[in-house]
Amino acid sequence: MLRIFRSLILGLALGALVGLYFGWVSFPMDARNRQLSQLAQSHQDDYSVMIAAGYAADGDLVGASARLALVYGDEAQRHLRESAERIISSSARSLPDIRLLVALARDLGQLSPLMMPFLTLEESGG
Amino acid sequence: MQPAAPESAAPAAFSYTAFALSLIAGLALGIALGRLLGPLPGGEAEPWQLRAEDRNHYMLAIALEYHESGDAARALDKLIALKPAGDPLVALAEGACALGSGGYLADASGIAALRSAVQLYQDFGREGCAERLLPEAAPAALPAEPPPPAADARAQPTPLPSKTPPPASAQTAQTARLAPTPLPRRFREHSLRSFCDIARPAIIEVRTVDYLGRGVPGQRIRVRWGESEDIFLTGIKREYGDNYGDFQMEEGVEYAVDMPGAAEPLATALSTGSCYSDNRRGLKSWRVSFVEV
Repeated sequence: MLRIFRSLILGLALGALVGLYFGWVSFPMDARNRQLSQLAQSHQDDYSVMIAAGYAADGDLVGASARLALVYGDEAQRHLRESAERIISSSARSLPDIRLLVALARDLGQLSPLMMPFLTLEESGG
Repeated sequence: MQPAAPESAAPAAFSYTAFALSLIAGLALGIALGRLLGPLPGGEAEPWQLRAEDRNHYMLAIALEYHESGDAARALDKLIALKPAGDPLVALAEGACALGSGGYLADASGIAALRSAVQLYQDFGREGCAERLLPEAAPAALPAEPPPPAADARAQPTPLPSKTPPPASAQTAQTARLAPTPLPRRFREHSLRSFCDIARPAIIEVRTVDYLGRGVPGQRIRVRWGESEDIFLTGIKREYGDNYGDFQMEEGVEYAVDMPGAAEPLATALSTGSCYSDNRRGLKSWRVSFVEV
């Protein structure tokens, strides 16, 4: 009886270890059921930049705001300001991307002192 | 006196059967746990993990950015990162089609955004249903002068102005940056034959292939009868292949099949009627293929 018990425990432990490796590394979850609001921060930033770029092209502030709300909900404008400030502080994106974000933040009334240099740059440099 | 039992006959200290069974159970448990607790917890999702509706919105954002930058490589990279099952641009076309069919065109914002998506996939020679859903004229949009920069560092959100179109010069610059639309593809009838399948009665099956016989997805097929017509895309029913489309016929009606702007109508009008397979009565179906010329 003891030998069976010992074999069971050993097999279970070894199997679980190998299985964890496969489940974690080789075959991670492939579920496609996430929402925009569940995107990782960097991808949320990417989405915001894309929306800001769209706004720069079509001037559709209502549409841009609605699309941001898909990610950030009712607090979209505040989130945009925070994202822009964080991106500026961490140099997480390129200058053109920051300028797009700042332009959208400005038109949504979310300009902050941190953004001002980029706004000046935009207005002087086109 | 009994001889001593040989060592090999002694009870083993290990049960291989129990070990094997528990190893399998442990493996299953480990994989399940690994996938559940895996490396992508909620809130850290990648774009390819988005559900269909949100993925469509994400693709639209890609198209909006492309509209501004004209950077096709960047747009394609992002579309590919969504890990579509097939052609990423066809996935964009299908996403745009789904959004357009789902009430996204109710306002000028949706129309303009969808137009960006159509522009992107048409620049690469793809087609979808969204372009047929869009209104003919450009939306009477509105760029208002953006409100002056808020003087206050933490200004409250201002009411959103009405949308106004971008200045004409900006529009011209945008258009100039976009890649020219490739020449439309041309097809001709390649084969036409009837078949009898009890499980799939009165169907017109259409496939579009290139000159090497490879499937060409996203092609518009038109079926006309009487005063009516229906247009569908090949490749939407992926379970039958990425170049497949079909149409359900009714008895007593003759159908003309063509590819609008790409192939002449079939010389034969198609209709269904009785057919027999394995001594069972069914309705005749047709299998059509168009080949690129």
